[in-house]
Amino acid sequence: MRRYESVWVVNGDLPDEEVKATIDKFSQIITSQGGILVGVDDWGRKKLAYKIRGTLRGYYLAAQFAGEPTLVQELERNYRIDDRVIRYLTIKRAEHVDLEALQAEIAARAAAPPPPPTEVESDVEAAVDTAAGPESPEGGVISPESSVSGESATPTHPQED
Amino acid sequence: MVVMPRRKRKQFFVRRKVCRFCVDTEQIIDFKDVNTLKQFVTERGKIIPRRISGNCARHQRQLTRAIKQARLLALMPYTPPLPMA
Repeated sequence: MRRYESVWVVNGDLPDEEVKATIDKFSQIITSQGGILVGVDDWGRKKLAYKIRGTLRGYYLAAQFAGEPTLVQELERNYRIDDRVIRYLTIKRAEHVDLEALQAEIAARAAAPPPPPTEVESDVEAAVDTAAGPESPEGGVISPESSVSGESATPTHPQED
Repeated sequence: MVVMPRRKRKQFFVRRKVCRFCVDTEQIIDFKDVNTLKQFVTERGKIIPRRISGNCARHQRQLTRAIKQARLLALMPYTPPLPMA
């Protein structure tokens, strides 16, 4: 069995009941295909970075589970059929799963459920605006201009002239 | 940047760039971590090359992948949104 994480985005214009219905539907598919569902993360409604099917709102949900590759095939087939799902992405997190660790994880989740999503907490568009700074991604990166500026200021002692 | 080549040798300070993901091994690159990913794209949404960002090959590869995954899920834009006319 492999460990997977599968994110699906439900059209954000749909009411909450529809969104919750997809959780049940896809959870059921996972378990019925011999998978072990660890839990479904609810990221809440977010603003999409671009329009998908005429909407800019999406409800993000992510299932953590273990299963066989055929299960993923079946799950993704159902994503494609379901009109409520506008995007999906399944990622393999690990090649093998430790069943005991998995059970412990499920128990831990049951004991302390993950915090509920803060509605529209990360506005994707706002994120873009703040990223609009210059191309210096990190403190350690020095831009070519600044490295040249020291050209005359540095005391280069062996003056040849 | 072209420096006029007088007889003085060109004095470049080549600050050694370090891959921040190698420095901080705690940090794992993930498509969900949009705030980190967006530090590695330009304002036009393009992925910053390794030559500029200083990432090592392995982490740049992981980063590129994560950015593309985030784009697919509309967590990040492929291209910046058009200003409202």
